[in-house]
Amino acid sequence: MDDDNSNALRRMSTRTRKVATKMAAALGSSDNRTQAALARLEALENDNAGIETVEMNDDDEASLDEDDQGYMQKRSKGTKRKTRQAKALENARKAPRSFLELLQEANLESLPPHVPSYLRAAVGPPSSTSRRHFCSVCGFSARYTCVTCGMRFCSCRCQNIHNDTRCMKFVA
Amino acid sequence: MSNIVVLDNGGGLIKAGLGGERNPAVVIPNCLYRPLSSKKFLHPTTTFSSSTEDLTSAAIRRPIDRGYLINPDLQRDIWSHLFNSLLHVTPSTSSLLLTEPLFSLPSIQRATDELVFEDFGFSSLVVADSPSLVHLYETSRCPDGLVSEGRCSLVVDCGFSFTHAAPVFQNYTLNYGVKRIDLGGKALTNYLKELVSYRAINVMDETFLMDDVKEKLCFVSLDVERDLQIARKHGKDNLFRCTYVLPDGVTHTKGFVKDPEAAKRHLAVTDGASPSEAVADQLEVADRTTDRKRVDLSKNEFDLTNERFLVPEMIFQPADLGMNEAGLAECIVRAVNACHPYLHPVLYQSIILTGGSTLFPRFVERLEKDLRPLVPDDYQVNITTQEDPILGVWRGGSLLASSPDYDSMRVTKAEYEELGSARCRRRFFR
Repeated sequence: MDDDNSNALRRMSTRTRKVATKMAAALGSSDNRTQAALARLEALENDNAGIETVEMNDDDEASLDEDDQGYMQKRSKGTKRKTRQAKALENARKAPRSFLELLQEANLESLPPHVPSYLRAAVGPPSSTSRRHFCSVCGFSARYTCVTCGMRFCSCRCQNIHNDTRCMKFVA
Repeated sequence: MSNIVVLDNGGGLIKAGLGGERNPAVVIPNCLYRPLSSKKFLHPTTTFSSSTEDLTSAAIRRPIDRGYLINPDLQRDIWSHLFNSLLHVTPSTSSLLLTEPLFSLPSIQRATDELVFEDFGFSSLVVADSPSLVHLYETSRCPDGLVSEGRCSLVVDCGFSFTHAAPVFQNYTLNYGVKRIDLGGKALTNYLKELVSYRAINVMDETFLMDDVKEKLCFVSLDVERDLQIARKHGKDNLFRCTYVLPDGVTHTKGFVKDPEAAKRHLAVTDGASPSEAVADQLEVADRTTDRKRVDLSKNEFDLTNERFLVPEMIFQPADLGMNEAGLAECIVRAVNACHPYLHPVLYQSIILTGGSTLFPRFVERLEKDLRPLVPDDYQVNITTQEDPILGVWRGGSLLASSPDYDSMRVTKAEYEELGSARCRRRFFR
């Protein structure tokens, strides 16, 4: 481990580090377990398992013919190279914004409370706070909670599987 | 009179055709896909369940996120393919009837209008919301029924992106009563993907495959506790275990249920009773056939047991997943309670189910079972299903397009150019 005082002398990069949103959420919050649960719910709305911004690039290149592509690559090496930052900016401008961003932009909170809107149409929390728990390994009703990560399991056997495979994956 | 294009632009499927017809001419997924064999994203020409293409690990791009249009460029691409190659219509001489989700944001509405008028140049546009179209269709289907007598209904639309319970009164959706659960077919498929990927084989990339698995094998449980007990059993006592064979890419490009007879065994489990003798006989036959088949296919298959009913269970109890939202039955009750008390008994008596996710077996029975205890005793609960829940909205749109009222509802291109998007939108009463 480095000492703290050596940090002051070391030159730090000013480049902003790009962290995946899920990681950022997990790092930024004190309550990791709820964050992990939220991230998991968020993932239920994904189209593809991977990160989707990458595809924008793929698609642009894929639409060119193969010869063109080779030519483009050669040329781009010869002339001025796009910096990573410029590329990222361009992608950000081109990429479609997610619905949540649009929602934030619409500023629905500012509407008076009697106006029906997307936010007020949400069904709201359930009347009973009790919740059934299912084992994350086998799916049957789970009595026990993992002390390190908070996921559920139903038996010793499932606990072992959980510890070997999935435990701490989200919250480490 | 120009022709009217009716377009139900869903998050999952586009239903499109000409007004006045009974069934939409085109039903395609609202997405572009890229199979492994291709470099480009392709336009689907039929639904994926009816095509024989190899869709292993295909990537998808959808213009719609959480039910709302977020990528107009992509949508333009899909629509132009739809209008030019599939429907063969010329937008400049046709009128468009478009469905839009409830509570669409102003920026999204503007983008839609631009798409319709500026990119495609339709001569006029009518925007309708799906609950009122479903109501319209049901009233015309049985003019003497309660829905048309009471002139109101509660439309429960459980679709691809979300689930809405919407009270409709005299063909207008009462938007202050609408309640939404943020769960739909997409979330269910993704949940099933997650479960199978952790427990058996990694299928995180196989959206189309898991859609098929969900449609073929999932069902709604009437008693989760009891069914969990049954699912725990071994051998042939376990009525829910079912094997799905993955495509191998050589002999078959589609996955399939290994033993369709065994997959239907869950229907034998009736309320409160244990499986009868007749079922046990069936089981033996089924078991023998599975044994025979087991030899040649070894690795590329997975078993489903409790996943089959725990996945649709989410709609009824989202809290189990950690979502802070009420289930479908409570959603309906809240939607009704938001309306005038005079409407309550009529609304409970005319609940209409629509949307693709209501196709799970026993969905209606379960909903009735959940709903009954929450509704006051002296009200009747009556749930109607549509003949084809996926096309219900489109058929309503087709009816509206052929009705005499249609002309008065239109916004023409000239009006749009004169007044702009926001002013024209007032015509649609939302």
